[in-house]
Amino acid sequence: MKDTATASNHTFWKDPATGQVRIYVWEWPIRFSHWVMVVSIILLSVTGYYMHSPYLTAQGHEAFVMGKMRFIHIITAYAFLLAIALRIVWFFLGNRWVRIDQYIPTTRRRFRHLIAVCKYYGFMAWSPRGCIGHNPMAGASYMIVYTMAVVEIFTGFTMFAQVVQSPVLLFLFGWVPRVIDIQYLREIHFFIMFGFWMFFIQHVYTAALISIEERSALMDSIFSGYKFVPEEELAQEMGMASPENTAPVIKTH
Amino acid sequence: MNVPSENVELSARLKARGISRRKFLKFCGLMSTTLALPPRYAHAIATALDKPKRPTLVWLEFQDCAGNSESMLRSGDPDVAQFVLEMLSWEYHEIIMAGSGHHAEAALQRVVKECKGEYICIVEGAIPLADGGIYCTIGGRTAVDIAQEVCRNAAVNIAVGACAWDGGLVAASPNPTGAVGLQEAVPGLTNVINLGGCPHNPVNTAAVLTHYLTFKELPAVDQFNRPLFIYGNLIHDQCERRAHYDAGRYVEEWGDEGARKGYCLYKMGCKGPETHYNCPAVRWNGGTSWPIKAGHGCIGCASPRFWDTKSPFYSRLPKVPGFGVDVKAEEIGWIGTGIVAGAMVAQVAGNIIRDKIRPDNNGHDGQ
Repeated sequence: MKDTATASNHTFWKDPATGQVRIYVWEWPIRFSHWVMVVSIILLSVTGYYMHSPYLTAQGHEAFVMGKMRFIHIITAYAFLLAIALRIVWFFLGNRWVRIDQYIPTTRRRFRHLIAVCKYYGFMAWSPRGCIGHNPMAGASYMIVYTMAVVEIFTGFTMFAQVVQSPVLLFLFGWVPRVIDIQYLREIHFFIMFGFWMFFIQHVYTAALISIEERSALMDSIFSGYKFVPEEELAQEMGMASPENTAPVIKTH
Repeated sequence: MNVPSENVELSARLKARGISRRKFLKFCGLMSTTLALPPRYAHAIATALDKPKRPTLVWLEFQDCAGNSESMLRSGDPDVAQFVLEMLSWEYHEIIMAGSGHHAEAALQRVVKECKGEYICIVEGAIPLADGGIYCTIGGRTAVDIAQEVCRNAAVNIAVGACAWDGGLVAASPNPTGAVGLQEAVPGLTNVINLGGCPHNPVNTAAVLTHYLTFKELPAVDQFNRPLFIYGNLIHDQCERRAHYDAGRYVEEWGDEGARKGYCLYKMGCKGPETHYNCPAVRWNGGTSWPIKAGHGCIGCASPRFWDTKSPFYSRLPKVPGFGVDVKAEEIGWIGTGIVAGAMVAQVAGNIIRDKIRPDNNGHDGQ
């Protein structure tokens, strides 16, 4: 971090180090949906755990603890649904670093890179291999997270349909309890919450680690959208890209 | 006692048994409220029921504990069964019929032949299919054989209790006899009403019979062929302890302060939030009480395959497959999260060491 620490303070954002370029990687829907997901997963976990096992003691005659928890849970669930929907749309409308192909290692190059990432985390390599967008391992883990989110939304709305008895929700989800009993749906819904917690711990740790090791301002990039990338890495990656994809998204410093 | 048997109106027959017209009209009122009909229908029901001709009913028992018959016959005062027994001509019911042996079986055969397509058939108990159905035989015939014949020739089939609906206790894992409910044992029946519950509530069964006798059709049903007037609402939404649930006041252990004050039984594993039934409204023993009022959580006896899906009855979530009986879902979740957190701490330590010993000439792009 020495290089960036000496940079001037005249801008709000950090300056790139020598030999790095500043690239606009994460467009606003990515950053917006990311933070809505963060806030909503925290709120959903706090209220959802209470709904599973009420950990607060109600005080006084006007207590409405479970009622409020459920209200927050349901409202937040809609915010989460919209964030996931926006993110899924952006799999197809976003720039080259957030397209759907970044989340499933299908090409040989991505697969080799995946092995390299595994080697790095297995302490079989000295340094991480740089990557402008997600590395293939991160991309695959996000695909698992989005799958968990979809299952969570699906099971959640199935249970909600049983409660509100809304004709629309019952039309969409009424068949589910016949296939999997509502109690097992509830258990799946509960377990996936822990999956999000596990991901949360790993995600924050990895982001901090890579931010430090690559000096790529990765942590800052989810606020600003800009990452710092070595010039040769950008040239290498751009060389492989089709021109129409690259032109509008590159904004160097 | 001089009880007129045939060609006399129902109210007169009831009167001969010491049940006044007032009590008969109260019964009609109970039926109309159970069916969620406006009060004026009590009159329509009374008119429809008060006929001299009594439709025929047969009550089949297969793999059962006779709990549904017991529930029907011991339901309060005046007994719902007293009305139902007088409303219909019960030609066959192993527990209460006078005849036995070949005479009893002959009575059933007579009904199937003489009242073909007209009689009401009530089925109690599961039907075993494994090994040719030999695990339940009556008079040398298997249960599935009897059900095939009797139910296919009935005007209406009513499966009472969890066992007749989906196999219930008998079909609970591992289900050694291959027990199934009526609809699975006799596929293709279109005139089945399922009245799940362990046991069925006799008021509900009487209401279904009343609906059929009054309107000449079966009530509206859900995807499991269960009447909506019975299974249309969650127990949780009708529960008298619901206010405590919303407030956040729960029984923490049996016999504690909250239990004495009638707090919500959610933390004790009550399955009211996932069970559809009118138990809190109809109640038991002449409307005296019902499980949650008595201080015990709902076990979801009206839910599909409740022995497997709603157990353990005293915890919120089912047992996790592959783990011990006592291992709760949250324990697995917390331990898993702890393992991940531990792995990350180990990673941090490993990275600090790697940073210290990394050769200086190895650039950041190296592998």
